[in-house]
Amino acid sequence: MFERFTKDAREVVRGAVASCQEAGGGTVGPEHLLLALLDREASRGSFALAALGLPVENRQPVREALDEARRRAGLSRADTDALAGLGIDVTAIVSRIEEAHGVGAMSGDRPDRGRRSGRPAFGRDAKSVLETSLRIALAHRDRYIGDEHLLLALTARPGPPAEVLADHGVTHTSLTRVLYSEGEARAG
Amino acid sequence: MTEATDLAERAGDRDPRIGLRAVAALRRLLEQLEAVQVRSARHQGWSWQEIAAELGVSRQAVHKKHGRQ
Repeated sequence: MFERFTKDAREVVRGAVASCQEAGGGTVGPEHLLLALLDREASRGSFALAALGLPVENRQPVREALDEARRRAGLSRADTDALAGLGIDVTAIVSRIEEAHGVGAMSGDRPDRGRRSGRPAFGRDAKSVLETSLRIALAHRDRYIGDEHLLLALTARPGPPAEVLADHGVTHTSLTRVLYSEGEARAG
Repeated sequence: MTEATDLAERAGDRDPRIGLRAVAALRRLLEQLEAVQVRSARHQGWSWQEIAAELGVSRQAVHKKHGRQ
């Protein structure tokens, strides 16, 4: 599968491992793939983000929203508000767990296998994003997997990355529109 | 009349949607906490039997749910 990844898609995979490591996490999750995607410039994925109102210089709010979602254990704001009504402070719980078990411990993702080396391992959810990107590329008859397919895959599954992107106008539908309806005419 | 409005307001406060949402969110939070603690116990060399005993469930149940890591 990896031999079909473009240079940009490989950079995203590498960047995801790096951003996980930087944050002190042990498992690379979909959120790390998104963080790496947000760092891309002049790629198909970056073009699509820019077309939907997220040029390179405007992506910081997305990073912050992602960080906030992590501190809410991936629950939505409405969920955490409902829990606050019961006297449960989700942010406090997450910060205690992270103190003891490392940043991102509450992400719900697990390492694919019992790897315990120093480098973060790809989690099941992140792997499933890579697999979905392959399926999406095939469905569009693209012969390669680019970072735009990774972005499409992230918006195709529930979870904080898709929610945060949707809050900024980036959904599977809007991405497909900017990537394919205009591109096909040009490629024609 | 005021009584009726009071009642309506209080009923609003007890909106089942909020209560149900809280329960669903709590369940998700619980699952995540359990995964973290079980993983940590396994890393520290605990047996499935020991973990199951602390959680108050059967060894099979805990292994089925958290095994393969």
